[in-house]
Amino acid sequence: MAKLPVSVDKLIQDFGPHKNYTPKDGFEGTHEPDKLVKTHCCFCGMQCGIQLKVKDNTIAGFEPWMEFPFNEGRLCPKGVQRYLQNNHPDRIMEPLQRVEGKGFEPIDWDTAMGRTVDEIKRIQGKYGNDAFAMLSGVSLTNEKSYMIGKFARVALKTANLDYNGRLCMVSAGAGNKKAFGLDRISNSWADLKHAEVIIIAGTNVSETFPTLTHYIWQARDNGAKLIVVDPRVTPIARTADLHLPVKPGTDSALFGAILKILVDNDWLDHDFIENHTSGFDQAIDAVKDFDLDWAEAKTGVPQEKIMQAATMWGKAKTSFLLHARGIEHHTKGVDNVLSCINIVLATGRIGKPYCGYGTITGQGNGQGGREHGHKCDQLPGNRDITNPEHRKYIADVWGIEESEMPGKGLSAYELVEAIHRGEVKGLITICFNPLVSLPNNNFVREALEKLEYFVAIDFFLNETARHADVILASSLHEEEEGTVTTAEGRVVKINAAITPPNNARRDGEIIMDLAKRLGAGDKFNYENSEAIFNELRVASKGGTADYFGITYEKIEKNMGVFWPCPSEDHPGTPRLWEDKKFRTPDGKAHFNPVPWKESSEVVDKEYPVVLTTGRVVSQYLSGTQTRRIGKLVDQYPEPLLEIHPKLAYHYGIKERELVKVVTRRGEAEFPAQLVETIREDTVFIPYHWGGKQSANQLTIGTLDPISKIPEFKVCACKLVPTKKWAGPANESPAYQSF
Amino acid sequence: MPNTKYDQQMEFFVDMQRCIGCHACEMACAECETNGQESMIHIHYVDRASTVQTTVQVCMHCEDPACANVCPADAITKDEFGVVHTANSSRCIGCSNCVLACPFGVPQKQEQAELMMKCNMCYDRTSAGKKPMCATVCPSQALFYGTREEIQKMRPNSTPVKKFVFGQQEVNTKVNIMMPKGSTELKIH
Amino acid sequence: MFRLIKTLNRIALIKATVAALLVIVVVFAGSRNLQNYDAALIGYLFGTVFAVFGIAYRYSVWLQRPPTRLYWRRSWEFLLSKDFVPYATRSLKLFFRNILFQRFIYPRGKTRWIGHFLLATGCLIAFAVTIPLTFGWIHFTLDPDSDTTYIANFFGFPVSTFQLGSPMAFAAFHALVWCSVLVTIGAVMMMKRRMTNGGLIATQTFDGDWLPLILLIAISVTGLGISYDYTFLQGRTHQFMAVIHAITVILFLIWMPFGKFFHIFQRLAQLGANIYKVEGSRRGMAKCPHTQQEFASQTHINDLKDVTKDLGFDFTLEDGRSHLDFSPEGKRSALAKAHFQARKEGGHFFG
Repeated sequence: MAKLPVSVDKLIQDFGPHKNYTPKDGFEGTHEPDKLVKTHCCFCGMQCGIQLKVKDNTIAGFEPWMEFPFNEGRLCPKGVQRYLQNNHPDRIMEPLQRVEGKGFEPIDWDTAMGRTVDEIKRIQGKYGNDAFAMLSGVSLTNEKSYMIGKFARVALKTANLDYNGRLCMVSAGAGNKKAFGLDRISNSWADLKHAEVIIIAGTNVSETFPTLTHYIWQARDNGAKLIVVDPRVTPIARTADLHLPVKPGTDSALFGAILKILVDNDWLDHDFIENHTSGFDQAIDAVKDFDLDWAEAKTGVPQEKIMQAATMWGKAKTSFLLHARGIEHHTKGVDNVLSCINIVLATGRIGKPYCGYGTITGQGNGQGGREHGHKCDQLPGNRDITNPEHRKYIADVWGIEESEMPGKGLSAYELVEAIHRGEVKGLITICFNPLVSLPNNNFVREALEKLEYFVAIDFFLNETARHADVILASSLHEEEEGTVTTAEGRVVKINAAITPPNNARRDGEIIMDLAKRLGAGDKFNYENSEAIFNELRVASKGGTADYFGITYEKIEKNMGVFWPCPSEDHPGTPRLWEDKKFRTPDGKAHFNPVPWKESSEVVDKEYPVVLTTGRVVSQYLSGTQTRRIGKLVDQYPEPLLEIHPKLAYHYGIKERELVKVVTRRGEAEFPAQLVETIREDTVFIPYHWGGKQSANQLTIGTLDPISKIPEFKVCACKLVPTKKWAGPANESPAYQSF
Repeated sequence: MPNTKYDQQMEFFVDMQRCIGCHACEMACAECETNGQESMIHIHYVDRASTVQTTVQVCMHCEDPACANVCPADAITKDEFGVVHTANSSRCIGCSNCVLACPFGVPQKQEQAELMMKCNMCYDRTSAGKKPMCATVCPSQALFYGTREEIQKMRPNSTPVKKFVFGQQEVNTKVNIMMPKGSTELKIH
Repeated sequence: MFRLIKTLNRIALIKATVAALLVIVVVFAGSRNLQNYDAALIGYLFGTVFAVFGIAYRYSVWLQRPPTRLYWRRSWEFLLSKDFVPYATRSLKLFFRNILFQRFIYPRGKTRWIGHFLLATGCLIAFAVTIPLTFGWIHFTLDPDSDTTYIANFFGFPVSTFQLGSPMAFAAFHALVWCSVLVTIGAVMMMKRRMTNGGLIATQTFDGDWLPLILLIAISVTGLGISYDYTFLQGRTHQFMAVIHAITVILFLIWMPFGKFFHIFQRLAQLGANIYKVEGSRRGMAKCPHTQQEFASQTHINDLKDVTKDLGFDFTLEDGRSHLDFSPEGKRSALAKAHFQARKEGGHFFG
């Protein structure tokens, strides 16, 4: 049933994306708002503080929040424009249902919820509980993440719950758990400012975490050397002390080679290795053949540069290593992460002032969201759903029998595959747009079309929701109170500025109502967000991600609290591992051997060019929110194919010529942008768009065996120039994803 | 101007090499209430084919502003704080003299409105003791608004410069550009 | 504003005196040696003569500034060329569009345009009515053959007749009432903007922005007072109303050359700027050495090089080119490159 009810053009006409702009004199009340509400940006893991101007229950603008310690008023373009989601013509204000040949028509809440519950019961009755799945997202607050984890297991009684964090930092999470037994960046950003050497690998900080740039610049003002590992010269790489233009998919070779150099030159912290780690010998054994010639051949980085990087890292007294999706979106994402951790552990620079390591979490609540339960294999407090003790503890908190709790379910992409195979028949989504964000999305579309019932909880009709049977009109970030955990592990407070307009409802209310109708109302009797948080505190108690000592009051008073925070008198933990007591079973940090492995698809004669994907500064993830904000769309209106002039010359490709990019999964045309700032063997396409200009039609759906993250960052393609020229960029309809 | 809390200790400092081209300043500039949602700051790639280098340009607020001098309609004025204001909309005739004469390429002509507009250092904010929008939000602090002491402490390897040489012409400004330590001027040509 | 206008200006003084005398001459001519002059309007006349003197003086001083002089000279040069007909037609069209209807304000804001248009239209019609009256060019007489027929005389010649009590008469005698209403609505709209728009609040001044609106409202309200008195109070307060109205108008006239209202006369230069742009682009565009794009007319760039030199600027480069040859984007890029180079030579791109 889940095919589009009418043409995509008609859906776009009715539900957008349309570009929203601020009126010339600002929204009503911008000069004299009723109040300023201190909250955070809804985009990215930095969670910059911002104040929203409220007038007559709408957002009239923003005012920088100078006192919030992380960003002190600083914002990126998305943050500045975030308020335009409010007052948006595309906003879904009441529940909708799919009507064949017509599109979507408003219905009342009772009908929408009643039909959903009937379908859940019908499908689960016919095919089993796990045939109804849920996909969630980590732009949601901790409270909602927790509640969804509980909802899926207690009310929906399905094992198949997963989330879009699966496309985010799960490789880092898995790697961190293997090495440290805990999944969080080791230090707060404050330590970054004084590190002597900073390596940032596969993270386009300046475009994806712009406000973190200031910390790196401050470190450089204090004398830090910056090493950037990236196939492209990103803005942060441009002035770096050392840029290593690594070939996509070869990060572990690079870090393995660096580890070997550290060992060969004895730039090691023997005391730390001996007393606080395990597995060192196996780890160095795995890289014993990673000499410079080999590394240069694999990574494409000149060996002098590799040597230089290793020397800088090896001789430093303090350091910080950061990575993000660039090394994590691989079938060996966990390996890449472990190869980074190995060089951190080898030099013993962790758990000390100005010595840190971590992933830069991408999504708004990528950190908190992945700790409290909407991951298929996990329970609150970063507990393991397969661990009987963990299950028992959470079952008690939830007031159910441990035996009633479903086991480990399928991960996000595996779930889509199961839908495609016909094993999963019903789906509920919230805060996830898989049709744009998952790889090989033609396959994803086929899967969606096979669903017997699909209900989407959303505030805009995104590309995936266009396939839904029922849409439940939900709330924007500024319409519900809660907490999020930033990329540095700081739990901060999201304050509700307004109430949802018209007939839209808060996400939390929708979930609670559904739970009630599914017969689990007694388990979802929360008076407010704080009540959910208080239950979460108990649920996380004793887990690695321990929030027990964090209260709303404490967060507001201290402008955030760093977990772990096991008791109310505990100040929180900005810097981990000062006691060298790692959370692994043996209490030690673990080296892990990372032998060389190829990516799942390598270039060959037929598909000779490496394709990698990523982001631009003006867009956020699948663009559900940002492709509706006029100025953000105008800044970078359409996805471009970044290609080196030499490679372009080889194919006779000219500037702004439409180039057909073909992979084994699909093909799409993009205007060429000839730039010397990319490797000669690699092309880059940003992924924020859907429809005909979606880069994820081309990417590959192979997964990391441990983290189940798809390999977005590398696949093989061929380029076919079309001799057609792209029209003016500002007239491109790409943002609408038709 | 009915100034109230304009703080003359505060200065504007620019370092384009810190700019990451994110356009936050441009979005925020439009929020300045004197601009009517038009952005006055200029941010663009210097030559995208070869580099991601961007340049960011606010009004430098010259001591002897070329724009005001070449204005045939007396529409541009400098106030007692040294802020060179945007064109007086009742006088500006949209001739573009200022647009073409400004050595920094700052004023913009709004073609439809036949009006020149330019950065007035967020006068609505600075006159109320706040920082300009662009420098407030700038995530790389390529744009910094604060005291001379602050910047010297924060960036000990640089010197603020407010003298610019364009061939025969020397231009002195209120806004500073951060240069290698010990520099006294920036020679453009 | 800058340089050049510090001292009293002899040429301007002469021109202003001539203009003021000319007004007096036309008053004598129009009123047949004052025999048709309405003595009650003499105060207004003095005000007007002063305003003309002031405006002419300021206009003349203004034209002496190099950029203004250049535009003035070029405008006439281009207008009075072989292309007189197209340029005159264009100017006429623009006069209606931009001077009478102020359409260029529309893109700056819709309510702003409506407010300004009401206010300006009220003022312009009022000027059209009152100036001929004040100068004695128009006066009304009763038709000796019919005591209900009025004759309107222009320069002493009868030009039209109308019946007392007819709609035409009602409209004509109340013309200033309609103007007052338009001006008041417009001025209130503009005041509202000035009270709610944060940008305006930050930059406005009392004498520059509020006083003109207050004066316009004062003139309108006191003018309406005369009409009110005449219509409803049988003229009992006429003396008071007339005096207070005269005071506001005369204040307005005296202040006209100095304050915001001078823009009414400056605005005409917009027509010249338009011809300059059109003719300039016909003569050939300048191409930026950096962007390789055309960005302005070569005439404009060349003229600006001269004007900036007159003003004491010299943007000539060592190689003989000029910084002014670069487009705004080219200039900004030149600065960025120079900064990059300086940083590079300093040993670090970053510092």
